[in-house]
Amino acid sequence: MLTKISGGRVLDPANGVDAVSDLWLDGERIAAPPVGGRADEIFDATGCVVMSGAIDIHSHIAGANVNTARLLLPEQHRAHMGRPAVTPLSNAGWSTFETGKLYAQMGFTTVVEPAVSPHHALHAHLELSDTPVIDKAILAILGNDDFGLSLIRDGAGPAAIRDHVASTLQTTRALGIKVINAGGAAAFKDNVRAFGFDDIVPHYGVTSRQIVKALQRAVSDLGVPHPLHVHCNNLGLPGNVETALATIAAAEDLPLHLAHLQFYGYGTEGKLGFSSAAPKLAEAINKTRNVTIDVGQAMFGQTVTISSDVLRQFSARGQASPRKYVIVDGDANGGGIMPYNYKSGSFANAVQFAVGLELFLLIEDPKRVFFTTDHPNGAPFTAYPDLFALLMSRDVRAQWLEKLPAEALAMTTLPSLTREYSWGEIATMTRAAPARLLGLKDRGHLAPGARADVAIYRPGADLAATFRHAVRVYKDGDCLVRDGELTHYRFGCALRLAPEPDAAMTRRIADYYDRRHGLDAKLLSVPETALPRDAFETVACLS
Amino acid sequence: MDGAREAVRIAERTGGVLDHVESEALLRDLDPLRETGGLATTPLEADLRADLVLLIGDVGGDQALAWLVRPARPQGQPIERRVISLGGGEAALRSLISLRWGLKRRGEGNCALAKALRAAKFGVMVWRASNLPTLAVEAAHGLVRDLNETTRFSTLALAARDNGLGVQTVCGWMTGFPLRTGFGRGWPEHDPWRYDAQRIVAAGETDCVIWVSSLPGGAAPNSRVDILLDDGRAELVETPRVRIVVSAPRPGVVYDPRIGTLAASETVGSAALTLAAIRARLETTPC
Repeated sequence: MLTKISGGRVLDPANGVDAVSDLWLDGERIAAPPVGGRADEIFDATGCVVMSGAIDIHSHIAGANVNTARLLLPEQHRAHMGRPAVTPLSNAGWSTFETGKLYAQMGFTTVVEPAVSPHHALHAHLELSDTPVIDKAILAILGNDDFGLSLIRDGAGPAAIRDHVASTLQTTRALGIKVINAGGAAAFKDNVRAFGFDDIVPHYGVTSRQIVKALQRAVSDLGVPHPLHVHCNNLGLPGNVETALATIAAAEDLPLHLAHLQFYGYGTEGKLGFSSAAPKLAEAINKTRNVTIDVGQAMFGQTVTISSDVLRQFSARGQASPRKYVIVDGDANGGGIMPYNYKSGSFANAVQFAVGLELFLLIEDPKRVFFTTDHPNGAPFTAYPDLFALLMSRDVRAQWLEKLPAEALAMTTLPSLTREYSWGEIATMTRAAPARLLGLKDRGHLAPGARADVAIYRPGADLAATFRHAVRVYKDGDCLVRDGELTHYRFGCALRLAPEPDAAMTRRIADYYDRRHGLDAKLLSVPETALPRDAFETVACLS
Repeated sequence: MDGAREAVRIAERTGGVLDHVESEALLRDLDPLRETGGLATTPLEADLRADLVLLIGDVGGDQALAWLVRPARPQGQPIERRVISLGGGEAALRSLISLRWGLKRRGEGNCALAKALRAAKFGVMVWRASNLPTLAVEAAHGLVRDLNETTRFSTLALAARDNGLGVQTVCGWMTGFPLRTGFGRGWPEHDPWRYDAQRIVAAGETDCVIWVSSLPGGAAPNSRVDILLDDGRAELVETPRVRIVVSAPRPGVVYDPRIGTLAASETVGSAALTLAAIRARLETTPC
């Protein structure tokens, strides 16, 4: 089927395009304008902005910890709307079906679940396969597992660590590797209550820095397109900017991605010993061109924090609101679930809100700063439209700042920042750059041959409303969203890498599970047959 | 898991109710967590690290406890694993409360057991909720929370039978809620009393009961059933209107108590196929 999207402002920074023109979709792909071709369907996009589908690189939408949070907080997601005629369960609060629907309505077509414990990968993939519309991917967590830490401790060498990473990518069907408070979860099981970048994991005798460096090199050697995705130590603590700066410096010449940097942008200035250190952090990012970051913006309202940084979640348990938390001392990282309410009247929360926006506005290159709220940790992803408006309009920012405590804003530079993101910069940050970061060649742009994932917005005075309800969203050429409403389901795939596993490492891992736990290692892998047909699409490693 | 997924879709389509034969036990574990929270661990971490194991009540023989007889090896070297049984029922509840009280007021009520718990490096309390009063589960979580103020302690609640945790997990991601969730009003609502299947059947509030028992050795119905999917072996009090044998082994996914998460299996039965056919028929018929 040929679809013509006519007369819109086509915004495709990956290909240097910003012009009013027609865009053609031929079946599941973007097509060149056919010579004398007649469209089966025409959408008049006059006055609209036409972009590729947005890509979210870090959003906790599925898996064991997310599901525990659902069960822990039944009071937070009651449904109040009747059964939809054609999209069953999309009204069920916090269901995978609702997640797919809400992302689609905002024009997002690919989302990465960034924290999956290797042993829980099958569970995560099953949830993702029940998440409609969007394509998905997982990042597998390493850096706290007994097998991996033992390799580093025993001086197994870079080749063995690389083979372990390859095996993990293969058995979990992941698109990349994440490390979360490297060594911190293992240390916490030994009753360590604070853990920094140069602290040693008891008994394993390795530092957090050594773990991050070893995994960074392995990921790079394997040609994994996405750099090692790092959740640093000391999340949320005053003065933790130093931890982030030390991690940035440790990247040396290899690529590294730092997740939800907002949570590390804190100094110790002021009467309360809590201030924004975002300018210092942004300056370091601007200078270090091999480092990318996502923000993890905090927005005000009730949410729940879901993190595999189990040490941090345990330490913060006193801040739970309502007052309950679950800590899972799970395999390797585990997880902590803690409901939290970001209040606009709170000094600390207002500083956090400002730090996120400062990072967005002070980091100059929109190709290296990614748009996230670390859903749901800083805010649910449904807050994205408001965040787009805050970035694109200083007037909107001024209205928000009026409601925040002046003494908190005085600890930040936010009121002095006048930058406004252009539509082109938004397209770079949410389309072109994430596709490149993840190694997705046929996404994030609109050249002929690209996947026909297209989002069309009608810019209005209310920018948040513009982004909340795209006027049209196409996934693989199928128009699924009309005037902001999802009209039907279609199920996307999970993107994964498939590096060739090393036979000796496979035997070594099998031997470990057999000797240590009396189990067949295959029990902990994701077999193709366990998921619906065509559940996966393989992404190539860099050569 | 595919069978459970289809069951959720059928309940959603027909305004039905979802429940499981093990719901009482599942909720006995879930309720204290969602009211006050707690700490939990997995069989593999317990295997690796637990230097002290406190068995509360009758835990029975369980695949998830194979690790108990092995030494812990937190850092490669074997260490002695001490296993203590606390007894069950109301006595367990009394013991847990008195231990918690003793720990809160150091020095008072400080028996040898309290000292052992406090001296553990990574202790684990193990129970099976179907064998314990609800308050004992709550008291165990409270005691573990308190112990973590100074040392590391966690809990391992043994899984409900018949893939209970697997079904609860599916129900969680598809509806946002655990079992005992109904769709009578067109959207999912969770209510442990109102959507208790046994109560609904006894009160005559339903005109169709579907019982699905797809796994080998699954529970047989103990009250009226209209449509039964099982292995065809159980003798029934009342003959169902329809009985479909679904025992042919097929590959699928179930909650595996040995690893505390979902895993592929070759022998899950074929209920998912039958339920999928029912669901497809329902979706082409207006209701």
